Amino acid sequence: MKFLLYALLALMVVPLQTTLLHYVIILGVRPDLGLIAACLVGFFGGELDGLILGLILGCFQDILSAGDLWINVVTKGGAGFLAGLAGRHMAHITPAVLTIGLVIISSLSSGVFLYAMNPATVDEIWVGVRSTVLVQVGFDAAIGAALYAMFRRRWSDDRMVTEGAL
Amino acid sequence: MAISRSTYGSRRLAIVLFALLLAGLFLFPSQSQGLLQYIGGPLGQILSLPLAAFSSLDHGISETWDGYVALQGVREENRQLRRDIELLKGQNNQLWDSVAATQRYENLLNFKQQSSSRTVSAQVIGRDATNWYRGVILNKGESDGVRSEMGVVTPAGVVGRIVKANSTSSVVLLVTDPNNAIAGLVQRTRDEGIVEGTSHGRARLKYIPLLSRVQPGDRVVTSGLTGAFPRGLAIGGLTQVEKSEGDLFQSAEIEPEVDLSKLDEVLVITAPYEEADAAQKLLQEIHGDRKKP
Repeated sequence: MKFLLYALLALMVVPLQTTLLHYVIILGVRPDLGLIAACLVGFFGGELDGLILGLILGCFQDILSAGDLWINVVTKGGAGFLAGLAGRHMAHITPAVLTIGLVIISSLSSGVFLYAMNPATVDEIWVGVRSTVLVQVGFDAAIGAALYAMFRRRWSDDRMVTEGAL
Repeated sequence: MAISRSTYGSRRLAIVLFALLLAGLFLFPSQSQGLLQYIGGPLGQILSLPLAAFSSLDHGISETWDGYVALQGVREENRQLRRDIELLKGQNNQLWDSVAATQRYENLLNFKQQSSSRTVSAQVIGRDATNWYRGVILNKGESDGVRSEMGVVTPAGVVGRIVKANSTSSVVLLVTDPNNAIAGLVQRTRDEGIVEGTSHGRARLKYIPLLSRVQPGDRVVTSGLTGAFPRGLAIGGLTQVEKSEGDLFQSAEIEPEVDLSKLDEVLVITAPYEEADAAQKLLQEIHGDRKKP
């Protein structure tokens, strides 16, 4: 049932990413809702949930992207998985911690994309970092933190259970 | 103490799944690409429903914006347009004389053998799902005869080429993407080169012969050497020519003819060179229309 919900979430997020998100462009870059969703679910749901949602989102994004068919599957799946690992080792997830986590994961994901673009010169790498990676990372972290701030109470209650309850 | 609800088993399963995925992709790249391609077909169909819904919502928002919010300053624009109409009326009379002359020249030229392309019209319903590729999504796919490597144009000029197609939609890599390469030709000097996108969102004509006298303002068209585009479609105008010492070729920056940020309707070239008699038929239709009062 949970995975069906993830599939439905992916069916909402990816078309939203490709159609309406051009209204929230900053410096030519849109936030990566797929990465943010995979990370948030990973943080609060664990590695498996993050990985599964990431794989579904990545698969859908690959269908609607000009890039190779593997790249979003690996980056989004990996992002959900890493977020799950990170979330497991934190007793309390605060907005600051979540922002830092998103910055790290979004940077890694952007690094994979930059590598896959096969830049020929150092100048091209810098152009990619300046024009896309930095804006993308900031945007993803800000949107992720804002979503967390909006739904903080609910997610915290879901995630935190006492040892006695188990 | 607070701990996560995930169990050790699910963690282990996630690690195994991710490791298997990575191993599959790196050890069997072509097979895994094929598998993903195979899965992509039905998934693309499922995805087309919400995509169409979001796209129509997007069009609704755009129309509301264009129809109400963006109408400020219309009065001044209206005055300017009335002045333009007066000017254009005068020009129109002169052009009618030119039409008669062109008609005569047309008869002189052997226009019948000129080839035309078969195209499928498509609507742009979205942008690339990532920020790393300059691409757009079309609402036509394999069921409409659209295939990978087909060229995409508007009446103004070249847009890009299809890189992915599933049954109901397809993805176009724009001419400004660094991964795109189209055979181009400078119209004035007839020098050929390769048009590639740049990381700055423009295009560049590369491999222009060193002795060529290309200059800013020259128009670049398709050379017809690659299968996707027929000869002579506008790509853009040269804005800056670069010739470095020691280089074997020149290169030049191109301002694309088509405004790629405002794409709405495009044509996919399914057959760049259709039968000559189809062109002749089209020509006859045009002549027929012109003779009507």
